Parts: sequence; structure tokens; C-alpha cells
Amino acid sequence: MSDTAPGPRPDRFPGFDVLDQSRHWDSVTTGVVLSRIEMPPDIRFFTPDEQAVAAALCDQLLDQHGDPEDPTRVPVVNLIDSRLAEQQTDGWRYQDMPEDAQAWRDTLAALDREATNRFGVGFAAGSRAQQAMVIQAVQDLGSADWHGLVAQHVWSLWSRYACTAFYSHPSAWNEIGFPGPAYPRGYKNPGVDSREPFEVPDAFPDDDPVRSSR
Amino acid sequence: MTNVRARNESAWLLPTDGTRTNHRLREDMRRFADTEEVDLVVVGCGAGGSVMTQRLARSGWRVVVLDAGPFWDPDSDWVSDEAGSHHLYWTEPRVIAGANPVPLGSNNSGRGVGGSMVHYAGYTPRFHPSDFETFTRDGVGADWPLDYTDLKGYYRAIEEELPVAGEKWPWGDPHSYPHRPHPVGGNGEIFLRGALAMGITAKVGPVAITNGRFGNRPHCIYRGFCLQGCKVNAKASPLITHIPDALAHGAEVRADAMVTRVEVDQRTGRATGVHYVRGGVAHFQRAAMVAIAGYSIETPRLLLNSASARFPDGLCNDFDQVGRYLMVQGAPQTAGRFDAEVRMYKSPPPEVSSEEFYETDPSKPYQRGFSIQTVSPLPNTWAEHVAAQGHWGRSLREYMSDYVHWSCLGALCEFLPQPDNRVTLAEEKDRHGLPVARFSYTQCDNDAALMRAAQAAMEDLLHAAGADEVITIDRFAHLVGGARMAADEQHGVVDSDCRTFAVPNLLITDGSVLPTQGSANPALTIMAVAARAAERLASRRSHPD
Ligand SMILES: Cc1cc2nc3c(=O)[nH]c(=O)nc-3n(C[C@H](O)[C@H](O)[C@H](O)COP(=O)(O)OP(=O)(O)OC[C@H]3O[C@@H](n4cnc5c(N)ncnc54)[C@H](O)[C@@H]3O)c2cc1C
Ligand code: SF4
Repeated sequence: MSDTAPGPRPDRFPGFDVLDQSRHWDSVTTGVVLSRIEMPPDIRFFTPDEQAVAAALCDQLLDQHGDPEDPTRVPVVNLIDSRLAEQQTDGWRYQDMPEDAQAWRDTLAALDREATNRFGVGFAAGSRAQQAMVIQAVQDLGSADWHGLVAQHVWSLWSRYACTAFYSHPSAWNEIGFPGPAYPRGYKNPGVDSREPFEVPDAFPDDDPVRSSR
Repeated sequence: MTNVRARNESAWLLPTDGTRTNHRLREDMRRFADTEEVDLVVVGCGAGGSVMTQRLARSGWRVVVLDAGPFWDPDSDWVSDEAGSHHLYWTEPRVIAGANPVPLGSNNSGRGVGGSMVHYAGYTPRFHPSDFETFTRDGVGADWPLDYTDLKGYYRAIEEELPVAGEKWPWGDPHSYPHRPHPVGGNGEIFLRGALAMGITAKVGPVAITNGRFGNRPHCIYRGFCLQGCKVNAKASPLITHIPDALAHGAEVRADAMVTRVEVDQRTGRATGVHYVRGGVAHFQRAAMVAIAGYSIETPRLLLNSASARFPDGLCNDFDQVGRYLMVQGAPQTAGRFDAEVRMYKSPPPEVSSEEFYETDPSKPYQRGFSIQTVSPLPNTWAEHVAAQGHWGRSLREYMSDYVHWSCLGALCEFLPQPDNRVTLAEEKDRHGLPVARFSYTQCDNDAALMRAAQAAMEDLLHAAGADEVITIDRFAHLVGGARMAADEQHGVVDSDCRTFAVPNLLITDGSVLPTQGSANPALTIMAVAARAAERLASRRSHPD
């Protein structure tokens, strides 16, 4: 389910920027985290056609429809592409799925076919609403077949890679109030409603997505 | 407390200058030639393999332990970051199958010196006495060829060596812990609050995390990255609890060495050593005795890949027992939403547990039970939990932005050992040209019933603590079994001393030998079983020839 309510998301942690604390991190961690806000790695694995479909898919999955030049935008497709180029898998695959790299190629092609069948345009060229319909249909299939694969295994592949890329990025941490690396500093004030001096309280604590969706 | 340092000096062999690795000890390490017949070669330097290595090195044996992964230095190799810790996991290809396939990788197995304990959470409960005789008591599972009292002294010894912090433990065989319980963070507070409201006993611990200094290991800084490897040296793993002492007693740790095959003399039927690949070069280490400790997937895989004329279906597999009776614990994870800020990422994920539902309850339609513990996922793992509810796009982002308000508990359900839950070899080959493991899992009705009962108990608990909504994801953790211990060779692969029935000088000393798993996290029991096997081996051969 993807709520399509328009308008910007509220900034729940105003002024919070994990990078403000980066001088307190150890150098190895700093290297790893800061590399994510540098220029995104070049695309090496996806063909141009695959890249276009993957970009549209990831924009949908992570609701990143804003300005492509926005510096806080997470380069999800580049991060997935790097993992696939380097064969950095999760260390397992479902027996009924090809290995991850091939599975990405196959499912991106299937998305394009599906969009063409339904709307007469490729997935990347389709409207946002059309793309969302195609994606939602995959999720709704559950354990049924989608283009020769188990739909929920396809969903698992997409969402695992996309979420890991997105929620490893400092911009995403800012959005959720998570301070990121914590070595060697650690935390001095754990506990319910306790905060460190550098943590920012939620500006909308009653903005419970569960309640609002009912 | 007995004098730990006199038995195991590891914590005192670590540096005192704020760095985490004693490089001198590693540089001065004794090194054996491949052609030298060592007393023992151990395959895998994790929970079981490290204890075996340290104990026998202390007894004067010449021991080499080979591990496929690196000899970690926490300062330079580990980061305080989730995605950046991918290299801690065993990510060589594996295939999962069955009606309820179990994802592996980050969630289930590690590599390198320290094994999966490098990124385990750090819970170290004992098994209950009932776990050793579930068949006799409850008509399910299997009886072990040893019982709780055989392990009790080893449990205590390992608890002192890790060391374990926790409250006085009221369940199973009641006992206390060497270190006081840690203060709890937001998630632990919620658990304790909910348990109190429901009249359920919950206790702080037991965790293998120092509370105060231990040797040269500092105390925990509550940074919450235990599952990414502890850069502080506060959380126990064999890298710091057993390997330093083993090196000081003349053992060699040979890292980045992937064992491909155990060699057996076709005439005598005895193991003669192991083939391994290091830096692309094939080697053969001669040894008078071999102990395999590669984890519940790689141990059966290595046995199956070591087939020969004498053992056409795989080493030690005359009775089709290798790879069978593999178990995972059902580990549903239930989160509750609070208007207050919980910020569960502050403090170690392992904080509080309850074993109130551990034993068989005759009033329930299922046998055996489950335990409940705090889990505290970091953002990537939390995104998986949220995405599993079906959220994507805008609703995923909104749910995720609510992270600081959620508390998260995990259960460990005792899934039963079944012959068809097993490792076999897949068609696919790894880069060494060896068939990869295919791991097949199908839950039985009892397993499924426990999953739902555990979820309901966690939901009740979180509601009692004040949660307005709860969400659950089904997960699976802690593989054990696959080369189990049994009374005879028709029912298992090793005897109660971890000696294989088929090859007199071949042992298996890791989680693979466990016949049942209880609802306890397994590492402490794996170490205790290995410590017992090592002591029995050393006493049988006071000085190896
Ligand atoms: C995320 C996570 C959380 C966990 N939390 C807990 C917890 O809180 N409490 C708990 O008790 N347990 C926990 N566990 C489980 C625990 O870590 C394992 O059960 C335990 O470490 C298994 O011990 P082992 O000796 O069987 O194997 P391991 O400790 O995994 O050691 C096996 C070693 O063998 C090496 N190896 C394998 N094959 C070969 C080969 N062919 N050649 C050379 N080397 C090889 C591997 O590199 C590895 O280092 C957790 C595990 C994970 C992944
Ligand atoms: S919370 Fe404590 S034990 Fe866990 S990684 Fe941090 S310092 Fe180590």
C-alpha cells in the first residue's frame, strides 16, 4: 500500500543533522558514511534501459519524486548497481529465483513488458499513477506467479535492496531522527523520553502513522 | 568467582592503550608447516572451534585453526554502521528452499576469527534441564546422550570467561551471573513495564557484555551496534575471549583459509588432515586429529563435499544422517508504538528476557515453548520490519520517520528437529568449484502454533505497556543441528563427546551437534559442549603422540 496523499512530508526533527556530529566518529566509520554523500558511483551493471526502469521503480518504492539535483536525494539506483556489479549479495537466494544480479535484470525487463502490455508505454515512460499500478499489482499477487517468478520473492528482492540503500544514507537518518554512528562517543542518556544533547525531539509526536491511516 | 585469569588469560592479553588488538601477540604467533603433522587441526574459528582450540592449546597440544574469513582488527575492520558491516556475514552463495525457506546471510551466519559471535546480539542464556530430554518428557524432539548436569560446570566456566552480566536467573536450573545486570534503555524499560502490568516475570540479561572492566576490556558504552561487531571490546566473541589465550599457548590461527575437503585414509579409515585454499593456492595440512566447527550449514556441506570411495554419500554419512535435523528458532518480531520516545537504538539490543513461556504448558495445544527478549533493530532492519507490513512509497517513509516511537521485542520459538529440514548440495558451485549448500525448511504444525502464540504474548505485553498499535514480522534465527549428537550411528553423526561414529579421529565441535535447541540462544551451549568435548579428549590422551 502506498498512500498517495499529496504535499510535502512534515519535517519531524527540525535542525537535526547527523553530520554535525561527524567529528566525533572514528575515522574508519567516517570514511564509510561520508563516501555515501560524495558523488554517487557510476552505473556499471545496469544497461541504460535497465537503469531507467530501475530509477522509476526506486523513486516509487521510496517516494523520491523531487528534483534529481537535490543534494539530499539518495542515489538509490547507483547504490544498488554497485552492489550488483560487485556481487555483494545477502548470501542467499530463493531456490525459485535466479541469482540476484540476473533476477534484477529479469524483473526490470518484466516491469517494462507489463507496462507496455497494460498502457502501451514502457515502465519508465509511464505516468506515476501507471507505474504505481504496475508495482501494486506485483505486491498484491503474494505467492502467485508474476512473469514466471513468485511475486513475493520479486518484492523481497526489490524492497531489500532499495530499503538498505536508502536507510544507510545520512539524509534518511535525519528524516527519522537517528544519529547514525556512535563510536567512540556512545550514549549517556538511554531510556524512555531521554535524549542526548545532540538529539532533537520529534516535533510531531502525535503524528502516528498508524492512527492516521485508520 | 573462581580465578578466571588462571584458566583463560585472554582479557588480560588485550591492549590497555585504547586500541583493541594485541598485534604483537599475532606477529609472534607460532606457525606450523603444512607438512608437519599437528596434533589437531580445527576447521572454523567461531564459537565451538575457538573454545576447542584454546582448551587443547592449554593442554599442550599443537593446534592449528583454519578460518575462511579474516583475522579481524576491530579498530580498522569494523564500523559503527549497519550497511558498512556487510563483510561480517557469510555471503558466499547458498540456496534456500522448502515450504518455509529461511533467509541466511546477515541474519544467520558469520565468518572470520570469532565466527558468528562477532555479530551475534550477545544473549547467553543456558538451556533448561528439560531441553536434554524433550522426547521422554513431552514426546517430541529428541533426547540428548548427555544431560544438563553433564554441562553445568562448563556453563559456569564459560559464563565466567565471557563474562555474562544479568540478574539472578529464576528459570531452568536457577543460577546467578558473574557480572551485575546492566542499566536498561528505552526498549528494556518498556519490556519491564509491560511484564509488570501483566504479572509476567522478566529479568535483565543474560548478556555477554562486560559491566565494569574485565581484564583489559572496557565496559559497554551503550552505543547499540552489537550486531555490527563491538568496536569497544565490551561484547564477548572468541576473537577476544579465547583466541588471545590460545595464541599465548602456542596455537596458530590461519585466517583466510577455506577448507575444501577432509581427507580420510581409505585403508585405515582415519582422517589425515584437511585440504584448504589460501590466496588461490591449494594446500594440505597434515593432522593427527581433525575437528570441524564451520557452523550448521558449512559443517554438513564440508562433510558432503568430502565424499570418497569409502564414504560415497559424504563423510560420516553411512546412515543418511548428515545435514538432517537442522533447526532454526522461529523468531517473530513484534513492535509497539508509543507516544513517548523510546529510541531503542540507544543501549545494546540484548537487554531484558523472559523465560516464563519456555516449558511445555499442558493447557496449551502445542508442546514446548518460547522465550521473549528485547531486539532493538537499527534503521535498515527496521525498514524490513515496516516494509513487511506492505508499506512502500510515501507510507513507508512516513512509518519510518516514526522510528523513535517504537519498541521492539523478539521471541525465540523452539522449532522441533525434523529429518527433512536439511542441508544438501545444490547444482550451483562456488568460486572454488564446490557445490553450494541448499538449505530446505518446512515448519510442522507445532512450530507454526508456537509462532502465533509467541506473537500474541508479545502483543499483549506491548499493549500492557501502553502501546497503541503493534506490528509483527516473522523472522528466523540461530541455526543448530545438521550433524547431531546421538546414542548411536543410526540416529546421529557424533557421540556425546562430539566424536564422529564413522571416523575415530574426527570430531565435530560446533552448533551442528545440538539435537534440540530449547528457546535459548545457542552460543553459550555451543561453547559449553565444545569445552566438555575438549576436556574429555585431553584427558583421554594426556599427551598426544
Ligand atoms: C545476527 C545474529 C544474532 C545472534 N544472536 C545471538 C545471541 O544473542 N545469542 C546467541 O547465543 N547466539 C546468537 N547468534 C547465533 C550464534 O552466533 C551462533 O549460533 C554461533 O556463533 C554458532 O557457533 P558455531 O561454532 O556453530 O559457528 P560460527 O560461530 O559461525 O563459526 C563458524 C566459523 O567457521 C568458519 N568456516 C565455515 N566453513 C569453513 C570452511 N570450509 N573453512 C574454513 N572456515 C570455515 C566461518 O568463517 C566461521 O568463522 C546470533 C547470530 C546472528 C547471525
Ligand atoms: S552496545 Fe556495548 S556491547 Fe554493544 S557494541 Fe556497543 S559497546 Fe559493544
